[in-house]
Amino acid sequence: MRIEGNHTLKGKPEKVWNTLTDPEILAKCLPGCEKLEKTEEDTYKATLNMGIGSIKGTYTGQVKLVDKQPYSSFKMIVEGKGGPGFVKGEGILNLQEQNDHTLITYQGDAQVGGTIASVGQRMIQASAKMIIGQFFTALDMLQEQQPPSSETSSGGAPSGSSSPPPNFFFKVTLRYLWNELKKILRIKN
Amino acid sequence: MATKLIGERIKRKEDPRLITGTASYVDDIKLPNVHHVAFLRSIYGHAKINKIDVSEARKLPGVVAVLTHDDIKGVLKPMPCVGGVPDMHTPEHYPLSGGKVRFVGEAIAAVVANDRYVARDALDLINVDYEPLPVVVDMEKALEKGAPLLYEEYGENRGFTWKISGGDIDKAFQEADRVVKLRLVNQRVAPIPLETRAVLAQYQDRGVEGELTVWTSTQIPHGIRTSIAGMLNLPEHRVRVIAPEVGGGFGCKVDFYGEEVLIPYLAMKLKVPVKWVEGRRENIQATDHGRDQINYIEAAVKNDGTVVGLRVKVLADMGAYYQLLSPVIPTLTGLMMCGPYKISNVSMEVLGVFTNKMATDAYRGAGRPEATYLLERTMDAIAAELNLDPVEVRMKNFIQPNEFPYKTATGLVYDSGNYQAALQKALDHVGYTKLREEQKKLREQGQYVGIGISSYVEICAFGPSAATATGGWESATVRIEPTGKVTVLTGSSPHGQGQETTFAQIVADGLGLTMEDITVQHGDTAVVQYGIGTFGSRATAVGGTAVYLALQKVKEKATKFAAHMLKVDSKGLVFRDGKIFPENNPEKSVTLTEVALAAYLAKDLPPDTEPGLVATAFYEPKNFTFPFGTHIAVVDIDPETGQIKFRRYVAVDDCGNIINMLTVHGQVHGGIAQGLGQALYEEVVYDENGQLLTGSFMDYCIPKAHHLPKFELDYTVTPTNVNPLGVKGVGEAGTIGSTPAVVNAVIDALAHLGVRNIDMPLKPEKIWKTIKEHAPKKGPIIVA
Repeated sequence: MRIEGNHTLKGKPEKVWNTLTDPEILAKCLPGCEKLEKTEEDTYKATLNMGIGSIKGTYTGQVKLVDKQPYSSFKMIVEGKGGPGFVKGEGILNLQEQNDHTLITYQGDAQVGGTIASVGQRMIQASAKMIIGQFFTALDMLQEQQPPSSETSSGGAPSGSSSPPPNFFFKVTLRYLWNELKKILRIKN
Repeated sequence: MATKLIGERIKRKEDPRLITGTASYVDDIKLPNVHHVAFLRSIYGHAKINKIDVSEARKLPGVVAVLTHDDIKGVLKPMPCVGGVPDMHTPEHYPLSGGKVRFVGEAIAAVVANDRYVARDALDLINVDYEPLPVVVDMEKALEKGAPLLYEEYGENRGFTWKISGGDIDKAFQEADRVVKLRLVNQRVAPIPLETRAVLAQYQDRGVEGELTVWTSTQIPHGIRTSIAGMLNLPEHRVRVIAPEVGGGFGCKVDFYGEEVLIPYLAMKLKVPVKWVEGRRENIQATDHGRDQINYIEAAVKNDGTVVGLRVKVLADMGAYYQLLSPVIPTLTGLMMCGPYKISNVSMEVLGVFTNKMATDAYRGAGRPEATYLLERTMDAIAAELNLDPVEVRMKNFIQPNEFPYKTATGLVYDSGNYQAALQKALDHVGYTKLREEQKKLREQGQYVGIGISSYVEICAFGPSAATATGGWESATVRIEPTGKVTVLTGSSPHGQGQETTFAQIVADGLGLTMEDITVQHGDTAVVQYGIGTFGSRATAVGGTAVYLALQKVKEKATKFAAHMLKVDSKGLVFRDGKIFPENNPEKSVTLTEVALAAYLAKDLPPDTEPGLVATAFYEPKNFTFPFGTHIAVVDIDPETGQIKFRRYVAVDDCGNIINMLTVHGQVHGGIAQGLGQALYEEVVYDENGQLLTGSFMDYCIPKAHHLPKFELDYTVTPTNVNPLGVKGVGEAGTIGSTPAVVNAVIDALAHLGVRNIDMPLKPEKIWKTIKEHAPKKGPIIVA
């Protein structure tokens, strides 16, 4: 399954880069993320609770960031498995400055197996798009609320204790849906 | 003897309990302290299993056992395949696989818990370390050099090669005016019984002689009993198998599955009753699939449409392992490759191919729908090539009615037939000549109308034992009870065919009784003498004949008693309205009840006669039977959307004598629905990684009532002389006749665009695409 798209985040690539590679922030922004632990440099162990259509379950796996070209691109390798099956994929994220904002373009391939493949297949593409959309919306919102403390926080301390603000994902979902609605209705900011 | 019930439309005895929901399926059977099993199934199409960690699952409260391959290794034997062909690679597979998995859905661990939900939850706690291996799902790719191998030890993915031929095929091709070639895909479909598989087992340890009782949703209870006894090293007489109500089988339950031995094994090991009911998603993954052939066809034809030779290469997808009969199924395609036609020179080569998919095995029609599909598509291709009417090509090649019994080039002897009559009747029904004129006019107006014909002959009533894997006879007992009521025991365990009704008709007519006087029992090995089962449209022709023969025996004895009581000669006695009397003197009669009572009281026995009124017969058929018919579909296609709308659907079937018109109708209805499903909607799809994409009814489309046309059904009656009832079988006719009729209709609707083939299922998007590719461009294309 091919996954691609783009998203514009506020702030210059330097700022966005630091946010994107900060595990503490990632843990807060990944929908359904229960745990994100750093196991070695740029490698994290993750526990995600996700539902694709009616197929809900907990996945444990590994997220790895490789080929890091600071402020411009990195490759993300994800492997997870759980009751509903497995997910395996990799993708490249590119960061590009655009009028004080950063345009993130991503493209990758994902393979799924088990129940999620046999039952969820036709929803996966849409679900993946939504999860990614929610992720970036959350990033955007978090950047607004609490910009990363320092420019050197990249690959910082393992998270674990950090949890998202109250009702954070509810707000993220609302914001995400609002953004989608704006696109459909062609409302400009 | 006045026949009053045979041939009538008799409502089924089975239906009230089915309609009111009081029928009892395996899952309805409640036993105290029953434990439930859930299976962990592979999520990879092909992988090495480095390790399975079940320790966490074992700790879950309620779980009493978790088994993997290591626990059954050396305890259970590999699963049997009785449908062998010479020189085949036969891989071993077990109820739980270890070391390597070869398809998504393969069972690798079983959890037993005191609650169905706990068993399912425990599956999530099992940790499997898979090492994914390269996958091959496409048969043609699987045969290429360098393809990933399912079995390294074989060095190839070819499981076997099987050949059949007759006449002189090379000469036929030399003499032909031209050769018509086709490549057809007969896609993989799933049988989808409404009741999924289910097994319940109880072991009663009675000190010295324990008894194992197994309830399973099967078409072959006696075969399952023998297999379980063999697999578990139990004496067969201590094993009882019961097929209670069975909610559909369609061939996928003429099998012996790993679960059917593992559940009994667990019940014995854990000393508690153990139950497993297959989920719907499990069913689509791990119950036999059907069809899945690629046919490369070459027909040697004369310019007048005569087919002088037929050469076919078949790739038959076996999936990852053989089930009970897997390799045999495509051989039936080979045997039936002549169809209703006089093709004297034929050759077929079948290659059984292993791929990372569920096994294929019998599915309603089993090999014959494939034969009919390839033949009937070829007939239309020949007609198109030679610019002849499809009817003309068929009529030209049909075996003549006076040529029966007819020996085919593949060595079969067709019992009886009149293919012309069935085709003509169907043509008359549909108003063929007028329809063709209308089609021409509508075409000129830009409307796409198609007429599809499919004439078939199938091989039924399996069959002579010499030609079948596990015996082809059937058994029956007719027991007149002391009160004159009758119990019939049939070895032909039904699963929706209505034997309780049709067999009762045969017996009621024979004894001059009513339907209410007869009960037909089946499916319980402790009640019924050994039998073979219900499959291959054999129940009435073989099982019904056994009933008929047992009936004759018991009648003979009842006649002796009646003659003795009436003090008349036994010759000329008839059974009518519950009485037995000399035909020329109805006043002098004795009731069957009086006769029965006398037989059991035994105070005054006729000379050399034992008490009781029971007879058992084992009927060994001397040949198969060969039902036939013609189906015609008429469709409209919307060129804008590719949607198909049925105008007409006419089926004229000939299954020999008809016992019950209503059940024959029912069989044809269901058969057409399934065959039409394959033509238009159904397809089991695996992606290139071996993931099953059609794992639920969201993505696997079985036709619903609104998808189906009105069925216009009629019959011709050409009795067989193979059995005394003159019946042939009709269980699979609808599936065999309908698929090519529908596809031929769609192709015919697009024929004027130059379309010669579209592979099934003919979804609107495929049709739409084909139209776009073939439609003449109208005027210059204006680019804005």
